[in-house]
Amino acid sequence: MIDAHDVSVAIGGKAIVSAVDFTARAGEVTAIVGPNGSGKTTLLRALSGDLPYNGRVAINGFDLAGLKPVEAAAMRAVLPQATTLAFPFTVREIIRLGLVGGRSGALAGEDKQLPERALARVDLEGFAGRFYQELSGGEQQRVQLARVLCQVWTPVLDGKPRYLLLDEPVSSLDIKHQLIIMDVARDFARRGGGVVAILHDLNLTAMYADRICVMHRGRLTADGAPVDVLSDNLMDTVFGCRLKIGALPAGNMPFVLPQSAAR
Amino acid sequence: MVDQTLTGVPGMSTVAEGDRSVRARAVIFALVGVLIVTALLSLASGASDASPVGVVSDWLFGPSAGGDALSARDRVIINDIRLPRVLMGALIGAALAVSGAVMQGLFRNPLADPGLIGISAGSSLGAVGVIVLGATVLAPFTDLFGALALPFAAFVGGLITTLILYRIATRQGQTSVATMLLAGIALAALAMALTGVLIYMADDRQLRDLTFWQLGSLAGATWQKIGVVGPIIAVALAATPFLARGLNALALGEATAHHLGIPVQRLKYIAIVAVAAAVGASVAVSGGIGFVGIVVPHLLRLLIGPDNRYLLPASALLGAVLLLLADAVARTIVAPAELPIGIVTACVGGPFFLWILLRKRGVLDL
Repeated sequence: MIDAHDVSVAIGGKAIVSAVDFTARAGEVTAIVGPNGSGKTTLLRALSGDLPYNGRVAINGFDLAGLKPVEAAAMRAVLPQATTLAFPFTVREIIRLGLVGGRSGALAGEDKQLPERALARVDLEGFAGRFYQELSGGEQQRVQLARVLCQVWTPVLDGKPRYLLLDEPVSSLDIKHQLIIMDVARDFARRGGGVVAILHDLNLTAMYADRICVMHRGRLTADGAPVDVLSDNLMDTVFGCRLKIGALPAGNMPFVLPQSAAR
Repeated sequence: MVDQTLTGVPGMSTVAEGDRSVRARAVIFALVGVLIVTALLSLASGASDASPVGVVSDWLFGPSAGGDALSARDRVIINDIRLPRVLMGALIGAALAVSGAVMQGLFRNPLADPGLIGISAGSSLGAVGVIVLGATVLAPFTDLFGALALPFAAFVGGLITTLILYRIATRQGQTSVATMLLAGIALAALAMALTGVLIYMADDRQLRDLTFWQLGSLAGATWQKIGVVGPIIAVALAATPFLARGLNALALGEATAHHLGIPVQRLKYIAIVAVAAAVGASVAVSGGIGFVGIVVPHLLRLLIGPDNRYLLPASALLGAVLLLLADAVARTIVAPAELPIGIVTACVGGPFFLWILLRKRGVLDL
């Protein structure tokens, strides 16, 4: 379990996240939603150990502040929103960086094949020899996810769950790959790991999240199952839109929901 | 450094797509050979000619060896003049190239160089201070260190600059690379201004010394100097293989490197101190030798990719080779006089670097 208690983050004297209590359980996909500038990414960065924060964050009972980088790396992997690269690495070289901490959890002989297997998971078979900088934005995002998956290849290590912290993992993906990536996240949770993902697509969130945490002006304003959290009132007060949950468009206006995917 | 059992020829073993490690090992293996040949040729060539075979057989079998044996005079020239010079050239070339590669990894910028953040300027200030003020204000210092005063002052100058930089750029245990770059430019300007004041104060004889020192030369290499700067450079170079994996992770950004389990702050600290030591020691002996730190890693990245586990050792080897070749040009092209080696590296390195930029323009998005 990732357990944040009374976490506050100030950047340049301005409070971005205020007194947030947040938990993410193993076996669940926890989605963080909220409008732009509501503190979602800042909260995730505090949970990742990137930013100084007040309060307490614990992963599997260990205080995050007391963990060495290599120890934290064995418990959680982090996908940032965007990654720019300084040098011309190949896709395989990027993905192998996920193994630098040495705790993928894969069997000793398997480590060599992990880049291929991770690429297959994100629908990028045969991309290992390509240069990262020559890929499209969506392909780069999936390569980074493959790297993150290699870092915590087994969702459970030494009997303890591990976590994926994903900052907008599907933001630049087409609908097919949004579904593929969210399936990967849900599969990771089903196999005993925990997933924390910042998402913007509320339909996708409703479909995949076991729990939704809503951030609004730096505070956690709602927390619970999608069916309890997503309400007309929430859309109005948090997102500032008078939108009705579950209302169909009028007449012959076409619409496509991820929920309609054949499975 | 090279794992013999894994050194193969590309194509002979099955190489996974996107895996350049086999090629990288082959290149490193080849560079070891090139370095040995270059060093032997450097030893044998010069105003007093001896064959490379003669040099080696003299070492192996002593003066009694057959027809190719060296005269006593040649032996003195080779063992006491050329050998320290070749060793020094190889050490400094390796130090400059590896320092460049480490700085580029640290700053995530293929154009970063120790000269850029003021380390070289700080070293120069130390050295110029000794040349100009050695007989007056700094007399106690020069009396204490004798012939080693100049190298030592340059080394201290580089180290002090780096420590000031590090203090300015570090807040709450986090070193900001951007602040360090900007502060480095300011410190370099300040060090150059102070150097300018010293040059203004210098007399004619000192001016000539200064000019030659600033242009760079390996002519002053002695066993004594190697004894001082050799261990510093060797220790700094020996530290870099431990930085390789961390520098690779840093290519994805500091936050991601931290997520991957790299102790980023410690990595930066070790990298900066190692570079300051290596560059300070190099500038101390040879003065300003430019472009090795930028051209060598850049060339190797085109050849074997940016993986620092291979890039750092390959840079050391190619840096050594290039500086030996540059020195060979410097001491033969206007023989019996000698050209400062910094002129040679700049003449070759400048246009070469521009050519790389023009060729890669659009691809690199520079």
